[in-house]
Amino acid sequence: MSDAVIYDRGYRSYDGPVGGRSTTRRAIVADGIRRILGLRRKTRRKLLPWALLSLAMLMAGIVVGLHFAAGSISAAIAEGLPQYAELFDLFSRLALLFIAVTGPELIGPDRSQGVLSVYFSRPMTVGDYLAAKLAAFVSVTSLIYLVPQLALHLGLASLSADGFLAYLGGHLDIPWKIAAVSLAFIAVHGGVLAVITSYVDRTGFAAAAFLGTIIAGRNLAEVVAEASFPGARWFSLLAFDDHPRYVRDWLFDSDVGGVYAPEAAGFGPWTSVAVIAGVGLGGALWMVQRYRRFA
Amino acid sequence: MDTIVSLADLTHDYGNHVALDHLDVAVPAGVTGLVGANGAGKTTMLRILLGLLHPTAGSVTVLGHDALADPLSVRAQVGYMPEGSALPKDQTAADFVAYTAQMAGLPSGDARRRASETLFLVGLAEERFRFLGDFSTGMAQRVKLAQAIVHGPRLILLDEPASGLDPDGRVQMLELIRRLGSFGINVIVSSHVLSDIESTCDYVVMLDAGRLVRSGPVVGSHSTSTVSVEIVGPADRFTSALAAAGVEYAVDRNAISVIADGDDVFDAIRDAAAASRVGIMRLERRSFTLEDEFLRRADV
Repeated sequence: MSDAVIYDRGYRSYDGPVGGRSTTRRAIVADGIRRILGLRRKTRRKLLPWALLSLAMLMAGIVVGLHFAAGSISAAIAEGLPQYAELFDLFSRLALLFIAVTGPELIGPDRSQGVLSVYFSRPMTVGDYLAAKLAAFVSVTSLIYLVPQLALHLGLASLSADGFLAYLGGHLDIPWKIAAVSLAFIAVHGGVLAVITSYVDRTGFAAAAFLGTIIAGRNLAEVVAEASFPGARWFSLLAFDDHPRYVRDWLFDSDVGGVYAPEAAGFGPWTSVAVIAGVGLGGALWMVQRYRRFA
Repeated sequence: MDTIVSLADLTHDYGNHVALDHLDVAVPAGVTGLVGANGAGKTTMLRILLGLLHPTAGSVTVLGHDALADPLSVRAQVGYMPEGSALPKDQTAADFVAYTAQMAGLPSGDARRRASETLFLVGLAEERFRFLGDFSTGMAQRVKLAQAIVHGPRLILLDEPASGLDPDGRVQMLELIRRLGSFGINVIVSSHVLSDIESTCDYVVMLDAGRLVRSGPVVGSHSTSTVSVEIVGPADRFTSALAAAGVEYAVDRNAISVIADGDDVFDAIRDAAAASRVGIMRLERRSFTLEDEFLRRADV
């Protein structure tokens, strides 16, 4: 017979270091990133986000590779390849799908599964919770926009006949334009998603509603804006997805997407900037208002 | 005995419905039961203690902090186990409990260690790496309890912790709560099952439709019994004599229940019967449960 004894360690009070609300916010950001990417979740939760992220990185690699390959053959061929503005067009559609798939997962389950009652029993405010969720959302989503663009920027710099540093020095406007357009896409998509997910608990329904609002809403807004009743042109502002594209073409002085609904209705790019800011800020405030009842 | 929770003239209403009606309560350290029927105001009271709900009127002090002015200081020292579903299905128990510890300010390493320890304590050592969506109701209740204590709170608020459990699970959960009390954690546990409170708690706060019915030690009421008396003769003369002798009683159709606070209750009944010139037909001593007391005091 063994002499081993199982000791009941009982309960010991915690007397280690305890951080403040910033520790809490960091924990929520980290968990939010894990949730978006499906980390420490079942395999099926990882599939879509990682497939889309991998696709984005693969496409970025292909575009940069094409620039390298074309550059060694002919500068004229290289000029015909996607540049910054075109790359945004390509990746914003991928990002739209990524946001539709992962965004509702970030917010909806906490509410529908009743976990908020546990979370808000911790020393934090609604603002802490939502700000941390927003930080998680922005940090992952911006990867899809920023990584391919930065890869392209560095790739073009290394191909430049003027030399790497000379190219970077001569294109100092590119990084902030990339950041601004990325922010514009994230603000519009995030704002619309915030309003939808604050009402729709089921992640699949929320994703469908989001894509419907962005894609079908754009077409509907364009049609209504062209109607002849007074004030119809204002409906063009509901073509949410056109605003960041309009701003992108304005900043990069390109003509990737042709004429956008707000542009066709006679609105300038600054109006689109205001709409982007309004949708992003409005979505955030809407969310705060909806979550006040929890804490 | 230290007071851990103090309510003064606490009132809360949801429009026309008064959930809490001018409560004045001082809860001492230890394990306290919050008793009342469904809708009595228990959950409302717990949410107010956490500062999650702002009462219509009154003041609330929890562990020396004003819960209305400084709710975050209260929540830093309190754990809460809500009623009903409150777990993310796609996380493991260990990840979830560690995450809630981090939300309370614990560093990542400490949070994971504490999560393992508390899950061990609640009997989920083997299951801690399973996803919560695969847990039974009993296991889920244990995880909810683990997250309530993982950050080492001075007080935990448990809202119907035995709800939905089978008899075995119920006994085990109550045993766990008793153990937590023995570890020096202050506990306020709400339940509508009075026998659970009776077997678990040192102190009881009874609510009925938002009103305070009674607050006091469970032991006091538990040791009390009643004597059921059936008499021959006018009941009003007999009850007047009992009242004159300072004996507490309740009239229940044919019988009069006399609260037996001590051994001399039979002498008091005899003297009252003699004074009021009624005959005693039957005398029967009954144990007096919290349920009896609740029914007697709550006018139900």
